[in-house]
Amino acid sequence: MAATTQERPLDLERPIKEIGTDLAARMPRPRLVSTARVEQRMTELLMKDPALRAALFRFVDVRPACATPADLIRHLHEFLADAESKTAQRATGITGRPLARRPLAAVAGAGVKRMAQQFIVGEDAKDALPEITKLWRGGVETTVDLLGEATVSETEADVYMRRCEETLRALAGAATKPGQVNLSVKVSALTPLLRPTAPERGIEGARPRLEHLLRVAKEVGAHLHVDMESFDTREAITALTLDLLSQPEFADGPSAGIVLQAYLVDSPEHLDELLAWAERTPRTHPFVIRLVKGAYWDHEVVQAAQNGWAPPVFTDRRECDRNFEALSRRLIDATPTVKVAIASHNLRSISHAAAYADARGVGNDDLEFQILRGLGDDTQAAIAATGRQVRAYCPVGDLVAGMAYLVRRLLENTANDSFLAAHASGTDTAELLEAP
Amino acid sequence: MNTFRNEPLLELRRGTVRDEALAALSALDAKLPLDVPMLIGEDVVHGQVFASVDPSAPATVVANAHAATAQHVADAITAAERGQRTWSQRPASERAAALSRAAGILRSRRFELAALAVREAGKPWAEADGDVAEAIDFLEYYAQGALALDGGRPLIQMPGERNAMRYVARGITGVIAPWNFPLAIAAGMVSAALATGNAVILKPAEQAPACAKAVVDALHAGGVPLEALSFLPGGDEPGKALVADPRIHTIVFTGSCAAGLNILQTANTFVPGQRHIKKVIAEMGGKNAVIVDSDADLDDVVPGLLKSAFAFGGQKCSAASRALIHKAVADELAERLAGAISTLRVGPAADFATDVPPVIDIAAQQRIQGYIDSAKPLAQGDSRDDGFYVAPTLFQGLPTDHKVIQEEIFGPVLSLETVESVEHACELVDQSAFALTGGLFSRSPRTIEYVTERTPVGNLYVNREITGAMVGRQPFGGGRLSGTGPKAGGPDYLLQFVEARAVSENTVRHGLVV
Ligand SMILES: Cc1cc2nc3c(=O)[nH]c(=O)nc-3n(C[C@H](O)[C@H](O)[C@H](O)COP(=O)(O)OP(=O)(O)OC[C@H]3O[C@@H](n4cnc5c(N)ncnc54)[C@H](O)[C@@H]3O)c2cc1C
Repeated sequence: MAATTQERPLDLERPIKEIGTDLAARMPRPRLVSTARVEQRMTELLMKDPALRAALFRFVDVRPACATPADLIRHLHEFLADAESKTAQRATGITGRPLARRPLAAVAGAGVKRMAQQFIVGEDAKDALPEITKLWRGGVETTVDLLGEATVSETEADVYMRRCEETLRALAGAATKPGQVNLSVKVSALTPLLRPTAPERGIEGARPRLEHLLRVAKEVGAHLHVDMESFDTREAITALTLDLLSQPEFADGPSAGIVLQAYLVDSPEHLDELLAWAERTPRTHPFVIRLVKGAYWDHEVVQAAQNGWAPPVFTDRRECDRNFEALSRRLIDATPTVKVAIASHNLRSISHAAAYADARGVGNDDLEFQILRGLGDDTQAAIAATGRQVRAYCPVGDLVAGMAYLVRRLLENTANDSFLAAHASGTDTAELLEAP
Repeated sequence: MNTFRNEPLLELRRGTVRDEALAALSALDAKLPLDVPMLIGEDVVHGQVFASVDPSAPATVVANAHAATAQHVADAITAAERGQRTWSQRPASERAAALSRAAGILRSRRFELAALAVREAGKPWAEADGDVAEAIDFLEYYAQGALALDGGRPLIQMPGERNAMRYVARGITGVIAPWNFPLAIAAGMVSAALATGNAVILKPAEQAPACAKAVVDALHAGGVPLEALSFLPGGDEPGKALVADPRIHTIVFTGSCAAGLNILQTANTFVPGQRHIKKVIAEMGGKNAVIVDSDADLDDVVPGLLKSAFAFGGQKCSAASRALIHKAVADELAERLAGAISTLRVGPAADFATDVPPVIDIAAQQRIQGYIDSAKPLAQGDSRDDGFYVAPTLFQGLPTDHKVIQEEIFGPVLSLETVESVEHACELVDQSAFALTGGLFSRSPRTIEYVTERTPVGNLYVNREITGAMVGRQPFGGGRLSGTGPKAGGPDYLLQFVEARAVSENTVRHGLVV
């Protein structure tokens, strides 16, 4: 597979530019995260002022734990006071300090809730259905992700499993065509027993629950996707998923998938393992590999530094992006043994995969693009408009869970290293589309 | 100059690293039981044999150690008098180099020593590995620290006057080490004394002599003269004799409060013929509380408390034994903790899947069980009977004067108390006679500031587990009855082991400054 690519190197740069420019032209004026003016202004401020950014994230983080408005305001004031003293110390204080306060105060109460709601399609499956069916009608596929607290007991794991089952059934009741129901699950929510030094405990702990969900998915004709989490748990998540999908009872369904994280230095070897498994495990239903960069970059870098380890992730942004492209090509070459999902908001990463798939004659049956609801809405619309298959990852959950999710997404996407941040701050399309 | 870096921990989350650890364990098992003689000056000395056993499988003898008597102590101190002269005269750089070489030797035996701590102290792998790494850290950190100290301190200079202050070794140092960090704490206390030019006699814990011997062997191989470091396994007798001998200058101790107070008393009893005042450096345990405010993130609190209270069976001076929880979140947190405690696997230290290992010996097992039987638990984990196991136990709502709340248990027991406010929690903490570690879960900067000001503890950990102090990052040690307050692994620790000498020279000759 990989050999063919090397024999006849394709010139992808031209088609990548074409596809990317076309997608960009279909997107509204670049902006980040939000539509409201005040929020956009806030985002700009946040990217300029790390101390203020930290203050807001701490505020959003603590928001659900504040019982009264007074409590909320007290926390906000404390975070801002900290931010101001830090900014003052840096002596590079951003202009218009009182102005900075005003938009923050504006989002303090309802504003944050509104922002969280932008990422969340509903509190539970029923609540989310109108939004989801709207996406379906617009030709956009979905995958639902149930947000929740960390799972620390067996009871909590059971509760989470039941929520997943109810969601699968509720979506199935509303589906208008086969294959429309799609749920993403986290193994860490299905067991409190994940241990980095003993993957077998997490595997045994989550096995009955994931097995049950696979059965339900098979019964209602849904796709079940197992998300990937921090590196500590990758071995357990991979082994459990592949082992269950190897069981004879799942050879004829459901459709299922796993995630490959391109920021991991050893992701090429991990892909070897996934492809070897897919080759030797014939299934009537698709096995989907979702390619992502990885959502735990800071965690991995910090944990490695504190323990004196070499980080398991690339620390050079461009190396990570190059690896994403190399893995995209290998995955597209591996179709139709596997189905490929390219999950990214990065126009370059998306255009590269699209250009390579076009060159290989791989179409919507074997390749789709995925975005996160609330972050990639414009990207989603642009991709869909070009006739390519696109799927939105739709978190469902209450305010508490939503806040935590919001913090992570905001942190990730206002980081200077992020594509969305670069895009929102007005970097021109040609530059954004350059080879990494 | 300051190039210290913490020794990287083994990356046990990787299967290949775990395989290497297990291979080291089998290799060690083939050699058991180890023979651990006394080392007195130049001599390898045998005596009455006692065994250290594997707490996870008490039928397995890990080491046969030779017990020192009071006479052996006297012989070792005589050897140390010679050792003190030669060792203190070596240049600081030479002493530091010897310690650094010893660190290198420990580094090269990394897996083997972790395996030994797994067997002899019943430490689960991650903890055992941390113990080896910390031992290495202490050697390197104190080697560098002693070099820095060697230059003395700058003084005010006047015309015609040259002032200098430098530090010199105090004198023969007796070290009495605990079993819970059988490599690290022994290495830390011994190397601090050696780095600053003191001869040392180490009396290791009865339960873990083989681990301590590995540290002593590395130091000798690294270049510490035999007569500057003697090694005396045994029980109370050598410990008592060491403390009482008038030729000892400094006593360094880590262990229980009762033993520490006893040592202080003996050390302060003047013996005829004694020509100095003994100094005691003691670290003596605690009753550590974690405060949980209403704005805490319970997703962080639950794992943080489990780790602080139950890792290594709660057998760390820093372990959490009380949680003081704001009433707004008390019920929810208690329910989640009660559910979480049954996810802890109780098992042998060598099993990577173990969360809670056995406790150190049968005496500890019975003592801890006594506390557990003294009230009705809120929730309890598993136990087993093929080792010194105790079920991890959660209590709730015991009266403040209950012994479970007042006394140091040193086992996998956590009691939950509901408080009206953070201020209320701080008052409860302040009532304790101990002040070692403490924890706070809060997302309010003002609350964090308030507790930092208000708490008497030596080490406060905010929004994280309260164990796992790292050399050079979290200098460790407490006040009140928790100890005499030196901060092990911190920039001031070595000052405990030296005396300062000031020299002032008149540089005026015939009215001229020369
Ligand atoms: C539908 C969907 C599903 C997802 N599912 C998962 C999942 O299961 N597991 C998971 O981990 N993530 C998942 N993600 C998140 C994903 O991994 C990325 O975090 C996110 O999409 C941002 O990447 P990007 O390509 O969109 O943006 P870009 O801006 O192009 O990339 C940002 C990413 O690059 C990486 N990075 C940042 N700085 C550096 C650096 N200095 N050196 C090297 N790399 C760096 C990080 O991974 C960061 O997230 C999913 C994303 C989507 C859209």
